[in-house]
Amino acid sequence: MIEVQGLTKLYGSLVAVDDLSFSVAPGEVLGLVGPNGAGKTTTLRSLVGIIRPTRGSIRVGGHDLETDPVEAKRQLAFMPDEPRLFEYLTVEEHLRFTARLYGVQDAEGRIPALLRELELAEKTSALPDELSRGMKQKLAIACGLLHEPTALLFDEPLTGLDPAGMRRMKQTIVERARHGAAVILSSHLLQLVEEVCTRVLVIHRGRVVAIGTIAEIVASRPDLQGRSLEEIFLALTGT
Amino acid sequence: MIGAALYLARRSLVNGIRRRLTRLRQPKYMVGFAVGLLYYYWLFIRPRGSAVGGGGTLPSSAAEAIAILGLGALVAMGWLFGSSRSPLVFTPAETHFLFTAPLTRRQVLNFKLLRSQLALFLSSLLSVLLFSGGHFPATRILRVLGLWLVFATLQMHAGVTALVRQSLEEHGVTAVRRRLGAFVVLAAIVGGAAFTLRGQFAVVQAAFIAGPASGFEALTTLLHRGALGVLTWPLAVLVRPALAPDITGFAALLPAALLVVAVHYIWLVRSSVAFEEVAVESAERMARRIAAWRSGRRPPPAAGAAKRARPPLTRLAPTGGPVRAIAWKNVQAEWRGSGVRIPVLIAIGVIAVAWVASLGKEAGTGLQILTMLLALFGAMAVVFGPYGLRNDLRSDLQLWDLLKSYPLRGPDLVAGEALGPVTVLTGISWACFLGAFLVSLAFEVPGFSLAERVAVLLAAAIASPALLCVTTLIQNAAVLFFPAWITLGPARAAGVEMIGQRLVTMVGSQVLLVVALIPALVMASVAIAIGGLAGVTGVWLAVPGALAVAVTLAFEARLAVAWLGRVFERSDPAAEIGGLGGG
Repeated sequence: MIEVQGLTKLYGSLVAVDDLSFSVAPGEVLGLVGPNGAGKTTTLRSLVGIIRPTRGSIRVGGHDLETDPVEAKRQLAFMPDEPRLFEYLTVEEHLRFTARLYGVQDAEGRIPALLRELELAEKTSALPDELSRGMKQKLAIACGLLHEPTALLFDEPLTGLDPAGMRRMKQTIVERARHGAAVILSSHLLQLVEEVCTRVLVIHRGRVVAIGTIAEIVASRPDLQGRSLEEIFLALTGT
Repeated sequence: MIGAALYLARRSLVNGIRRRLTRLRQPKYMVGFAVGLLYYYWLFIRPRGSAVGGGGTLPSSAAEAIAILGLGALVAMGWLFGSSRSPLVFTPAETHFLFTAPLTRRQVLNFKLLRSQLALFLSSLLSVLLFSGGHFPATRILRVLGLWLVFATLQMHAGVTALVRQSLEEHGVTAVRRRLGAFVVLAAIVGGAAFTLRGQFAVVQAAFIAGPASGFEALTTLLHRGALGVLTWPLAVLVRPALAPDITGFAALLPAALLVVAVHYIWLVRSSVAFEEVAVESAERMARRIAAWRSGRRPPPAAGAAKRARPPLTRLAPTGGPVRAIAWKNVQAEWRGSGVRIPVLIAIGVIAVAWVASLGKEAGTGLQILTMLLALFGAMAVVFGPYGLRNDLRSDLQLWDLLKSYPLRGPDLVAGEALGPVTVLTGISWACFLGAFLVSLAFEVPGFSLAERVAVLLAAAIASPALLCVTTLIQNAAVLFFPAWITLGPARAAGVEMIGQRLVTMVGSQVLLVVALIPALVMASVAIAIGGLAGVTGVWLAVPGALAVAVTLAFEARLAVAWLGRVFERSDPAAEIGGLGGG
């Protein structure tokens, strides 16, 4: 569903991402981990089409993000760490607006159901400024799920959420994968990665250090046998 | 405490200058810096005749009377419309370090007051330089010092008024009642003063008829008479040092001014209202705004409680084209983001001017004024509106990454973004033009028949949307090509280079507009010539001319949208505005 081949992003002489290749199949949750400045956010933003890669190709649902960006993006939903909302659109208007942009045909029926599911039904006329951090996050998720994307990208999805919100977020991620979406999750929270992800991609200084299930990674590095994920991460990234 | 404040001020200044100098290595900042320097030279230093207010024809009493009235108005406005949200604006770092430090309330206030003095002194210096006419004799420093005293007192007075309002708020007095109370007190003062001095007004009027000098002399005498004199005394003694002609005069006037400053200081530090909670809330809000700006997002509103959403102007259907959806979003933002106070005040002003004009001897004068004002507002909406209404790419730049994640073609996005303000401004200008036309029906204008007025209305209505389109697109183009030059937040808002960048952008926009208008005007000339050959005469020739302008500009706008759309698709927000990277 998501295929990345030779992704490279340069900022002048700085190599943010270096020849990254991987794929995420439907139903899979890929954890993207790495130390600060490893290139996680640059990778995610490249996958969503926010940043143009210097080299390499990205295909989403069979559509090339460079040559067919509109169709590729139609398959995607990106949940940034901080909800991006329009100051002067109400909760319901955000969803109607998103429906127009993504060409959702049955939005009239889907919007109320989504609002109920995410416990936003009481807040349909509220502006973002009237919402709590968690509510904003829910609204951003509602906007992301409205068009039933087949590829979901989460950047630090638990930031600022309370325990109940964290639990719901993890459920959302797992359920979307169970319904056939390809999910990429970028986080520093190794427990979250261990709990939710089916595979892990470790990057360091823009390069792939390890990819696979935790068992596969350990199998390729016998010296990591019996260590916790945190110790494995530290050993792989040399931090 | 004084040592810590001075250390912070000194290091902040040095590090700020060093950072700016480092930034000048980039050509765009260097160009901006050079232009900014030229601007400051032109504004402050270049020699230009005699200084304003520095030895002009008016006596010193005139300056004093004007200063007293201006200061009085500022104080009154502060009590009427000021906010209780931030008595003294503390930065997030200040709240973090000062409020948790083992300091007394007075020490914290002293620190804040002391730290703000450099900015107040620079404001005084620039204000004096602005009106110095390029001449800055040694005695002019007295004016700077005097003005510094005025600014410092005003700052403390604003702090005091905010604390009083906050205290009333804590006692359950609503904002409306607070303002009403302040209004009643002020009205009583003004009314009482006017009543007791009513016999003197004729004298002042006669003095002004005799000449401005004698007029201001009489006004100054009036301001110092009786109860009014008692009320204006603190204002008068505060402004006098700034108007002193020499060091001796300054020294003589200084003690009284310092007394007013001291009273304000004591009033502020002895106020029992706790400002810390509000200051922390304000600082946290500021921190969120700064964080939002720096990460390329739109910040939360500046102050006040969360707004309730106004009902939408129209409801967006969930199916349909994305261009209209984006335009709708921007119209909603304009509708919900704009206050009603300014339009209401403008409307009241227009009606008041028209009413006053109608008191003249000639019947219908008021309506004629109203017609002219409406037409003028319509024209101003077309010419200046695109610079004021910024709910397009200029505001959505903070959500650039979100926009780029949408499944949209670049041209569709640019078209939708620009259509928002164009729609609003077209509505405003058309309403003004139509209003002017309708009011003009009530009176006769020799040589300007009804049919001719219809022609002018049609021409204005046809040409204005196209002109708005092109002007708005030029402003959006500036954002796309030079996003780092557009003011986004505190980190980019200040400095000589920023002034220069704004000037370069402004001049560049005007040049582009002229270039865009040339083909339109050529086509308009052709259309007018053809219209003339076809038998169209007089004012009616404006209609084919406007049509040609509209068609040409619309064509140009279409080309620009396609081009800017491609530029948007190729743009990289992380590289342009920075701060978007994370891990």
